[in-house]
Amino acid sequence: MNFLLFGLFSILLSGLAPLLLVRRTHLAKGVHSALLAVGCALGLCGLYAASQAGANTSLSFAWLTFSLSLSVDSLATLFLMPLFIVSPLLVLYSYQYLGTSQHTVRTVASYLFFSLLLAAMVLVSMAADMITFVVAWEIMSLASFLLVLYDWEHLQTRKAAHLYLLFTQSGAFCIFIAFALLFAATGSFSFSTEAISALPHSLKLTIFLVALLGFGSKAGAMPLHIWLPHAHPAAPSHVSALMSGVMIKLGVYGMLRIYFLLDDPAFIFAWIILPLGMLSGVLGVVYALAKHDIKRLLAYHSIENIGIILMGCGLGMLGLAAGDRVMAAFGFAGGLLHVLNHALFKSLLFLGAGAIQHSTGIRKLDTLGGLMRRMPVTGRSFLTGSVAISGLPPLNGFISEFLIYYAGFLGLRLTGFNLVLVIATIISLAMIGGLASACFTKMVGIVFLGEPRSKEAALATEAKPAMRVAMILLACICLLIGLFPAPFIGAAFAGLRDLAPLSSLMLSDIVSTISRNLTMAAWLFLALLLGLTGLRRWLYQGKPIQRGSTWGCGFTQANSRIQYTASSYAMDIVDFFRPLVRVRTVYKGLAGNPLPSPAEYSSKTDDLAEIGLQHLLSQPVLWCAAKLRWIQHGRIQSYIAYIVLAIIVVLLAA
Amino acid sequence: MQSVLSLILAFLLIPLLPGIILKTKALFTGKKGPPLLIKYYTLIKLLRKGSVYSTSTTFVFALGPLISCTTAAMALLFFPIAWVKPVLSFQGDIIVLLYLFGLGRFFTIAAALDTASPFEGMGAAREAFFSTLSEITLFGVLILFFRMNGSLSLGGYFAGPAPLSFAGTEAALLVLVVVGLFMVLLAENSRVPVDDPTTHLELTMIHEAMILDHSGPDLALIELGAYCKLFFYAAFVACLLKPPHLNLGFVSATLLFYGLIFLVYAAIGITESVTARLKMPKVAKYLLTSFALVFFAIILTSMELIQ
Repeated sequence: MNFLLFGLFSILLSGLAPLLLVRRTHLAKGVHSALLAVGCALGLCGLYAASQAGANTSLSFAWLTFSLSLSVDSLATLFLMPLFIVSPLLVLYSYQYLGTSQHTVRTVASYLFFSLLLAAMVLVSMAADMITFVVAWEIMSLASFLLVLYDWEHLQTRKAAHLYLLFTQSGAFCIFIAFALLFAATGSFSFSTEAISALPHSLKLTIFLVALLGFGSKAGAMPLHIWLPHAHPAAPSHVSALMSGVMIKLGVYGMLRIYFLLDDPAFIFAWIILPLGMLSGVLGVVYALAKHDIKRLLAYHSIENIGIILMGCGLGMLGLAAGDRVMAAFGFAGGLLHVLNHALFKSLLFLGAGAIQHSTGIRKLDTLGGLMRRMPVTGRSFLTGSVAISGLPPLNGFISEFLIYYAGFLGLRLTGFNLVLVIATIISLAMIGGLASACFTKMVGIVFLGEPRSKEAALATEAKPAMRVAMILLACICLLIGLFPAPFIGAAFAGLRDLAPLSSLMLSDIVSTISRNLTMAAWLFLALLLGLTGLRRWLYQGKPIQRGSTWGCGFTQANSRIQYTASSYAMDIVDFFRPLVRVRTVYKGLAGNPLPSPAEYSSKTDDLAEIGLQHLLSQPVLWCAAKLRWIQHGRIQSYIAYIVLAIIVVLLAA
Repeated sequence: MQSVLSLILAFLLIPLLPGIILKTKALFTGKKGPPLLIKYYTLIKLLRKGSVYSTSTTFVFALGPLISCTTAAMALLFFPIAWVKPVLSFQGDIIVLLYLFGLGRFFTIAAALDTASPFEGMGAAREAFFSTLSEITLFGVLILFFRMNGSLSLGGYFAGPAPLSFAGTEAALLVLVVVGLFMVLLAENSRVPVDDPTTHLELTMIHEAMILDHSGPDLALIELGAYCKLFFYAAFVACLLKPPHLNLGFVSATLLFYGLIFLVYAAIGITESVTARLKMPKVAKYLLTSFALVFFAIILTSMELIQ
């Protein structure tokens, strides 16, 4: 606990110190990075100490009339781990990513908010009562809002930031309502299970649903995800990485926290979470396929991965409800391990996207290409991240998906509607896997392979050293988890230790068998691959090797424009999901003109949830507001009359 | 010992088997056809050659053949060839294998896009789409098998304590699975009616379009990987067709197994001879049909439990 507090202090200091060093940019950057790294290292020590101590360590102090209390249980540990691992690397990356001379004040301010966001996230995970949680939650939302506003000169950035603020605040509003309901029923702000578990089932369900609205919109579960694809492209890349990799997971954390607080193993929770997960997972990846802006595409992949995490948690809830605790443990552990894995590979991918944008100034897939030769380090680490996020062995994404599959297959012993849900979950997970690899072959293939499609892409240069180091380290961690999964699977299961319904479960036999088998499969694959590579080298010894242009099937005038584009690559799949994805195509072609003339084709994909929100919520609200406009007329006398009237009403009512 | 022996035998025979398809097709068209050992000759010819690499390509282009061949060959280590206990087996190995196939596909597609050729991009896009759909059917089969014998490994399905066999009520379900799996086999191994390996128009190809630029030993690796993958699927179907209540020794089981394998390959040849390639937009329906068959079988198992 002490380590954690010192770490928190160091992180806060890393935000404040640069304020004093505004004029000396490099020093400010150095101090910020160093203090933040120290803070995160202390935090990791603290987590290790907390996990060794076993018991739930806590600490509380008074503030106004409330007492604020912090504690670290196993669940919080698991959510803090990616935070402390990823953030120092992000700061390292930002060392050379953020502007140097002209934007000093802005850079320093962004450091302050970055540290504040980190500290707030640590506090959210450690909060042991509602007041602490809510205060930290709000600081987290506001700090991230200000970070998104980094490039505030652009109208698009401001719009995205406002949309994000709107969502995060209405989400917070829902969370407040849920907490208010809890407080009204129990009379206590503390997250203690005894009082809460005695509540009636219907109240628990209401609280869960209201809280889910808030936490779901933070996590970016469909259809509450609308802010994500707007905010991520607008924010600087390391901020997107932090928000997408770590912050949105706190939505899942909040949901799990509430679920375990309510301590009500009913089927209905799984029936809500599983379809939500499937919807987010499948539609997230389909929209990602349809989008051709690198960062927007990655944002939709965050939605997909939140879907996978929710599917894991949903299977866990189903297991608890059905009394199958082994299945429950595998579901939750798979979901929680995916939280860590997604934090790693999604940060890596966002950093890669940032490097591309930094070097070419382009975010559109269809104007990039051939970057593998121009940016070899970025390309290789991005490729690693892509394989990881597609859930393919021998990288980390596969390990967590395997655990979720395992939970799913254990769930096939259920009957009736539960069985249908489990089958649908397994099928969706398989489908997501296939679609994700389709999406990332598109990404890698169009951006990094082939020939450059524009002058900017042709002139691209490798990212700067600090950025490269951050990406290489993240890629290495992804590979590490894939090749040595045992300690990480162990950590995911250890994360369930302090959760009441799963605490007494002894699974070490199955878990160690599975870890051993997955390790064996990964190493076997690697050994065979190395063997075959050696064989190939031997086969090529003394053979003539020539370089030539790509075989154009008889066409000799090939240029880079005839390559397949991202749009054409994804067209078939997006078409398949047509009713769920709205594609608008504009074709100004040769119609009616017998002679060749300039033609134009473009396609754009709309998000159904966005359209739905516009039709069902914002338009009615605007309509009502327009009808009430007569109240606002600018005559001071009437405004004074309103005030007088209001006072009279209040007095009479009191 | 027996497992290693049958694995080695399988690796030796794998390039022979596609010859059966060619012979069958030749028989149907009244030709003599190429010699049965044609694929061995092809491999030797390719291994003797050098390669031409496109100036557009990077290291990913060379990784494609390596990874696709590795993953396909690795799958056979886990397969109970001739119902003999596989060399390696664990609960969940089939998921790992399917995902390894996915890894092979990922790099095959990446290698195709690496050449900057529009034809290869087209083939890659189709491969990415269709394989997603066939994956659903395969996972449907896993769900069904788990409900039938509680196992999640290839060894458990065919060489475990309660192996699947073509008997009783199970046979009815397995008929659906065999048909569904055979349809997926055709799609995943780029056979008619999904893909035509012998077509000469790049626009209508899927797999062949993706490997247009590979040559020499690289192409040999791809071919070898493709034979292994075809064998994997064919063996999967063949294992399901085992007649019930049959206690066979190692030799007779191996003979029966290769007899069934021969039938599957001949069936592929017959299918290729009597059907034409589907239009591309129809392929999705074709693959969903295979899923529907398997899903129907899953529903039937649930009905059993409810009663």
